[in-house]
Amino acid sequence: MSRVLLLLSRTSYRAAAFVAAAHRLDVDVTVGSNHRQALADLTPGGALTLGVGDVDRSVAIIVRFASDYPLTAIVAAEDDFAPVAAAASETLGLTHHPPEAVRSARNKAVMRERLEAAGFPSPWFHVASVDDDAEAAAASARYPCVLKPLALSASRGVIRADTPEEFGRAWSRIRGILEQPEVVTRSGHGVAEILIEAYMPGREVAVEGIVVGGELQTLAVLDKPDPMEGPFFEETILVTPSRLPESVQREIVSCVQRSVAILGLDDGPVHAELRVDGERASLLEIAPRSIGGRCSTILRFEPEATLEELILHHALGTPIDEYSRAPGASGVMMLPIPVAGVLREVGGSEAALEIPGIEGLEITIPVGQRVVPLPEGNHYLGFLFARAAKSEQVEAALRVAYARLDVKVEPS
Amino acid sequence: MRDTTKSPVEFTALARDRVLQFLQANADTHFAVRIRVASPSPLDPRYEITMIEPDEKCPEDVAFNGYGFEVVMEPESAKLLDGARVDWIEALTESGFKVENPNLAPIGSKPLEGPLADRVRQAIDQFVNPGVAQHGGHVTLVEVRDKIVYLQMGGGCQGCGMASVTLSQGIERILQEQVPEIEGIEDVTNHGDGENPYISASK
Repeated sequence: MSRVLLLLSRTSYRAAAFVAAAHRLDVDVTVGSNHRQALADLTPGGALTLGVGDVDRSVAIIVRFASDYPLTAIVAAEDDFAPVAAAASETLGLTHHPPEAVRSARNKAVMRERLEAAGFPSPWFHVASVDDDAEAAAASARYPCVLKPLALSASRGVIRADTPEEFGRAWSRIRGILEQPEVVTRSGHGVAEILIEAYMPGREVAVEGIVVGGELQTLAVLDKPDPMEGPFFEETILVTPSRLPESVQREIVSCVQRSVAILGLDDGPVHAELRVDGERASLLEIAPRSIGGRCSTILRFEPEATLEELILHHALGTPIDEYSRAPGASGVMMLPIPVAGVLREVGGSEAALEIPGIEGLEITIPVGQRVVPLPEGNHYLGFLFARAAKSEQVEAALRVAYARLDVKVEPS
Repeated sequence: MRDTTKSPVEFTALARDRVLQFLQANADTHFAVRIRVASPSPLDPRYEITMIEPDEKCPEDVAFNGYGFEVVMEPESAKLLDGARVDWIEALTESGFKVENPNLAPIGSKPLEGPLADRVRQAIDQFVNPGVAQHGGHVTLVEVRDKIVYLQMGGGCQGCGMASVTLSQGIERILQEQVPEIEGIEDVTNHGDGENPYISASK
């Protein structure tokens, strides 16, 4: 029987979905995590404890493990473990994006450099250290611009600046985030670096796909109907299928395919974010992983399969070209945290779930826990899911349902 | 439509009165009561009770006419509802029909007894709980029904981002090894209510 090593970070939202997918595919599963699994001692072959930052050490552990429990595939559920999955897969000769491509895609600055060097249309950008002189950095920037700390993900610490004064305030705020103990202890690249790049106007979209032998198989183009103009870039609603004209969607997919080719991402999931201004699509970033959070819940395929199943199918060597997105429209709203404080109550859940089209609501932060909004925070309050015949119905259902929620946070 | 002389479903006096009140208020239409099992899952059995007009009846329906009104059911629902009781509840926070159905008794409503349950409980006490206790968690056997084990996770396991991994990679393997005749494990924990999860998910 095939065996897949699933790499899950200890705070993963995706554990249940990937484990369930592996069981549906009837493959043996080993879970590798930076968290020592409860009961690991009693279930040999079921769990591995690995480090996110020390790739070489983790690869050595995996290779040793594979001599006792041969692996058919290694799949990282999230970005954090992608370098380990890539390096171990390369060593063991398994299907995966190459390590160098993963490194390039995970570092927004390296990604920009490589794309620009290949002649790909790129915005103005500059990389600075948070220890540099902020005034000098502000003076040399072109406005409007966006500051993106390279160590963080999911819009955390991403701030738009239209003037040198705003640049200075954004810089200080990012410095504060990077000094948080939880961020300092994170392993990885470029902890103190900030990518400063031109603000790209337009609507934002996302593309979910799996690259097979260098060819992008587009699984979904997702609209983000809320304007994302800053100063912070909180994600809220994602809806698929896209309502953009076919020609624009082709341009979007083409942009992602060219980026994939330049970066060398050749086998595995990709999640790309783009800006669309008129007919023109510009890449914001592309990650060597699938969509984050609980958002994959909205993606269903025919013949019946989840996104996680398709990722595993591909990693295990099963063709996925017969799969297509299930008919109808679906969407998710990532529930924002309104204010910093202690979460006291989320009321109105039943009323929200009564809205036609709403399929689910998951509050992922327990009552009583401290919550922090963007740009400092890195959690969403939860997720609302909807499904309907058309994308506009999905979007409307999500907005009406959200309006019925009563989030009580005791400010601190 | 197949008429039956004995109703598979019993209506309490309160439930019957409630239906009759509705019918009297709408005497110009010959309504019938349709009862349907909307979800037969023992984790969350759900029922639909609706007033239907004559043209909404189906030829394959099972019908009973003995309470002063007609009760109709799809054949599958009639089988699942055999021996069920329909009551009407009126409380400050809610009112409506309530179905008590011994065939779909919610998980945890049956006494935890029998040799299989004893062996599962022993395996949990001996192997599972000492392990999850290291993460501040504990696991409770809720019921064993039709060789499916229903468990509740508490403490650090409730709401933990890795609970599904602990369940499938740890608990399930241990129980299948210790009690090979079990055919599945279901987690009935409300993880959303976890007050002190060992690990909270983040994006």
